[in-house]
Amino acid sequence: MKMAQEPENGKKIPLFISRSHILTDVNKTGSWRFVRPIYREKTAPCSTACPAGQDIPRIEMFFNQNQFEDALNTILFENPFPSVCGRVCFHPCERVCNRAGLDEPVAVHDLERFIGDAAARGELKPGLKKLPAKGKTVCIIGAGPAGMAAGYFLSRMGYSCDIYEARSEPGGILRWGIPRYRLPETVLTFEIDRIKQYGLKISCNTPVTHDFVEDAKNRYQAVFIACGHGRSLKMNIPGEHMADDGLDYLNRLRKGDTAPSTTTAAVIGGGNTAIDVARSLVRQGTKTTLIYRRQKQDMPAFKEEVEMAVEEGVTIMELFSPVKIEKHDEEFVISLQKMKTAGMETDRGRSRVIPDGGPGHQFRTLKIFTAIGAEPADPWLSPLQKTDATLDLSHCTLADSDPPLLYGGDLTNAIQSVPDAVASGKQAAMAIDIFFKQGRHAITDRLNSCRVGNGPALSMARYMGEKQRNRHEDVVSFEHINLDYFPRESRAETKTLSLDDRVRSFDEIKTTLTIDRALKESRRCFNCGICNACDNCRIFCPEIAVTLHAGERQIDLDYCKGCGICVVECPRSAMELQEEG
Amino acid sequence: MAGYNIPDTDYMVSGHVGCPGCGATIAMKFALKAMGEKTMVVIPACCWGVIAGPYPQSSLKVPILQTAFATAGATASGLRAALDMKGDSETTVMAWAGDGGTFDIGIQALSGAVERNEDFIYVCYDNEAYMNTGVQRSSATPFGSRTTTTPGKGWKKNRKKNMVEILAAHRIPYAATASIAYPEDMIRKFDKARRMKGGTRFIHVFATCPTGWRIPSEMSVKIARLAVQSNVFPLYEVENGVKYTINVEGSRPVADYFKIQGRFKHLTDEDFEKIQNMVDKDWELLLRKTSYFDRLT
Amino acid sequence: MKEVLEGSHAVSQAVRLAKVQVMSAYPITPQTHIVEALSEYCADGTMDARFICVESEHSAMAAVIGASSAGIRTFTATSSQGLALMHELLHWASAGRLPIVMAEVNRALAPGWNIWMDQTDSLAQRDTGWIQLYCEDGQEVLDTVLQAYRLAETVNLPVMVVLDAFFLSHTFEPVDIPGQDLVDRFLPPFSPKIALDTSDPFAIGQMAPPNVYMEMRRDVQKAMEQVLDIFSGVEQEFLNIFGRTYGPVERFYCDDARIIMVVTGTAAGTCRQVISDLRSKGEKVGMLKLKMFRPFPVNLIREDLGRVQKIAVVDRNFSFGASGIFAQEIRAALCNHPGHPPVFGYIAGLGGRDVTVDTLAEIYWKTKESDAPEDESVWVGLVNC
Repeated sequence: MKMAQEPENGKKIPLFISRSHILTDVNKTGSWRFVRPIYREKTAPCSTACPAGQDIPRIEMFFNQNQFEDALNTILFENPFPSVCGRVCFHPCERVCNRAGLDEPVAVHDLERFIGDAAARGELKPGLKKLPAKGKTVCIIGAGPAGMAAGYFLSRMGYSCDIYEARSEPGGILRWGIPRYRLPETVLTFEIDRIKQYGLKISCNTPVTHDFVEDAKNRYQAVFIACGHGRSLKMNIPGEHMADDGLDYLNRLRKGDTAPSTTTAAVIGGGNTAIDVARSLVRQGTKTTLIYRRQKQDMPAFKEEVEMAVEEGVTIMELFSPVKIEKHDEEFVISLQKMKTAGMETDRGRSRVIPDGGPGHQFRTLKIFTAIGAEPADPWLSPLQKTDATLDLSHCTLADSDPPLLYGGDLTNAIQSVPDAVASGKQAAMAIDIFFKQGRHAITDRLNSCRVGNGPALSMARYMGEKQRNRHEDVVSFEHINLDYFPRESRAETKTLSLDDRVRSFDEIKTTLTIDRALKESRRCFNCGICNACDNCRIFCPEIAVTLHAGERQIDLDYCKGCGICVVECPRSAMELQEEG
Repeated sequence: MAGYNIPDTDYMVSGHVGCPGCGATIAMKFALKAMGEKTMVVIPACCWGVIAGPYPQSSLKVPILQTAFATAGATASGLRAALDMKGDSETTVMAWAGDGGTFDIGIQALSGAVERNEDFIYVCYDNEAYMNTGVQRSSATPFGSRTTTTPGKGWKKNRKKNMVEILAAHRIPYAATASIAYPEDMIRKFDKARRMKGGTRFIHVFATCPTGWRIPSEMSVKIARLAVQSNVFPLYEVENGVKYTINVEGSRPVADYFKIQGRFKHLTDEDFEKIQNMVDKDWELLLRKTSYFDRLT
Repeated sequence: MKEVLEGSHAVSQAVRLAKVQVMSAYPITPQTHIVEALSEYCADGTMDARFICVESEHSAMAAVIGASSAGIRTFTATSSQGLALMHELLHWASAGRLPIVMAEVNRALAPGWNIWMDQTDSLAQRDTGWIQLYCEDGQEVLDTVLQAYRLAETVNLPVMVVLDAFFLSHTFEPVDIPGQDLVDRFLPPFSPKIALDTSDPFAIGQMAPPNVYMEMRRDVQKAMEQVLDIFSGVEQEFLNIFGRTYGPVERFYCDDARIIMVVTGTAAGTCRQVISDLRSKGEKVGMLKLKMFRPFPVNLIREDLGRVQKIAVVDRNFSFGASGIFAQEIRAALCNHPGHPPVFGYIAGLGGRDVTVDTLAEIYWKTKESDAPEDESVWVGLVNC
């Protein structure tokens, strides 16, 4: 403040006027508050639907902010198979995506593939550390997705793993069951090699017997059996022996069998394997008919796969059940019983079917393939031995034994899919770790504390004490999103082969997104429930009471009046108002 | 998603006595981010006369000259003249007045200053009534609004005065509307105005008043956005009184904006129809004005 | 250098010599010649200044307040309706402690429209905290404007230099216009105590709650209380440099007067003639010319008027419901003075009506011949009633 000038008469002139000399920040207006805003990250619906518990909003956030390696690491934290899943996962995430309420779901599946493929091209390097060695070794049986995933998570936690695989190469259903046009071999090999870099040992051509398992219990500190369903189910009808096994057919194709196919063929079954067989036959030039005993809508195969099969010329005969197979000259004749629906199988959510009482039908074809399901190849695994003390978790089963013995993958999963296999491997790895650290009794509760939202999926990040452990299990719904921040934008389309090209070869049908389309698509993600540093809270605060230190935002409670603007302007429900006191 | 890209330095401080959710404080925050420290703010009687801080405090890090209600335009003219005579060509004078001090009691001084093309920025932060004295109507109060002097059945049946148009008729070098819900647009306009020295620049800022409009404080910014999205408060610029540029085109029905405010809760569907009609016609007129310029040049 | 100048131009010459830098005014008869002259000075470069042609007097005062707040020498001029319109801002300038100088041409207030001499306009603003100095002739006007800047800038209070409409503003008289160098010696460049500055930001005019307002107002009065002393110092310096002095009051033949007439403005000039005439007839009469009205020079009034037999106050103004204002103030100054003489209040010359030697003589004789005032205010020179 400027000093008054001395007048001639030597007396100071009084000059007390309304002039400020301090700033208002001496007023702690925080005392006005009766509600306060808090940063409260919540769970996105996509993450709860993902069997592998992937932190999808965070992946898209990193990707959109050009932090590509962070995006990759976020995926790899929960799932070692992004390129694989980005091709073969049935993306339940997209079905619950909140963006669908505005225009179309985010192409999470295609984005996962993009990131995985960028890593596969060497453009992105993963950076997940391995914890120090724990001096324990786990025996894993089966190098399919569940076994490989278990090996991956256990290795990261510092355990040594010995994996025993019956076939000549690891991969399980990924290599031997899924056709090339869905999953090229190079992709699979890269992702398996990345897992192998954690130091686990895979012994191929080593089928395992029950005795081996008993012996393993002595040599290893834990055993995880994930050998999958290696044996196809039988229809138990006369003449069945004349039909080819669908899974075998797919195996042969994978091994490079180029034997020409017949001009016509029938595939009996309705699952993914049946569809894979049918679509592979089409590519070999065979006119293919798929025979399924229930309604088309009840087929357990992924809907997209069924649609593509139909587009590619597969005829689907629904509500027909084979009763007999005969051979007449070069042709096979399948006797079929027409079925009809009769009420619902309430526990499976599908219609009950019964014979319609009418005359039978016959179908003639030059080849028959069966793919009605599979079961474990080894009889001692089917059914799994259980006692009262067996712990049935969502994706694996823990027998009552010490050292711990677990079953997982298709052996235990309700839904038999690749992400569920990954979930199985993860859950088993966590259960084993908890068993060692806290004991068997602690497993259920500890796993529950790592669940993603209200779903069964588990978060490795939560388990290992990462930032996500503070995320609230409340799931963000569409109503929570502030749509002012999201203009309508249509979903990125990937290039697909034309129908003609599709049926002519085993080349991959869909291509990976371009970087521009991928970035644009990732921007469509609301990032439900997490803070993506958009800074709206800080920008709009009338009190300048949102501070930013080292990338973290905080409410300055000295000044915050609790107006709540930050909470409303948070586009993605990462904030809430809480009552004061 | 990428956030708003706005300057980081603030020249307003915390601890001010603005109501929770006050749009006028958000407006000042954004304005000063663009204006910077070489600014002197002239504040006539209005909410900001109190928010500027009772003695001995100030809520701004730039000099403030508080002045009588009707005088913002004249006081700013005098201040500018003095700075010119002192050889200060860097400091920008910014008058910061409410709708009362701009549309009503202050309109004479503003018109006089604009006619003389005085070199300052005049900002009207518009909360659509005399809020500081307890929510009495002003000529900026919109059609349909209840205030304490247009209460009950006497709700305001006159339309809101259009200050930008009035000043465009003065051929003011730059006049624009801005909204607290569109920070980048607002800061761009303030920055543009700041750099356009030599004449008068007018910015009409839409500043939500949760207290006066009877809305929850957390909706302050969202409602400001709705006003733009429904074309009730279009964002546009006028250069030299003739060149119109629309910044945002809205498409939402006016009812979306009106229905959630207590000051409008007495309005019926019939009223909304009437208002929609008015807004549509005003919007069409604005659209036509954007195409006039080509014919004038 | 002596020139024959209109009263208005005595103002404008002084403003020029004072090197005022920002001026703002709205034209109103009879102030117009002042502002027109100043506009010419700005246009032809005689003055390095800005003249803001505002759209009302209220805005004129607001503009000079704005300018003065940045720490620069300012000026405005007005009259009657304009002054009344400025009223709220007169309070603002004084409590804002801004050293603004204004020339106020005393003109009657409407309705009915009357552009001629009347003091009610300036006196009605006596509560606004402005120093008020009333001038008798052109020379005094020029000198007082220069003194006003020294005074204002020392005490940080605004000063109103008051001159009669037409009788002074439009009357041509010989006036000595001092050289710039002399004026520069007397009036140095403005060194403001209040100046807004972005490099040291502060706010002024903030809300002043009950716990501080009274003290702020008290300081205005405390500054006012120092004005008399400071003014005498200013006048002494002025005398030294220019050889002229006026005093807050001027005693004219007061030493042995039994009746003193209190007169202000140009009427004081007429009164000198009347006093001379009366004295030549042996009447013991004197005149106290009142120059400084605010602050009201209470002690001088008590000193100079406390001992006489009778006081006759000539008011060319009126406060309805009360009395002539100078009389009122003198009565108030004397009421606690033991044994003070009766105050005879006379109202004359409103709305441009001339105050002639006859008017003043009539006032003297009425006073002499009455023991006590017949009325609180006696209206002199009325026609038709």
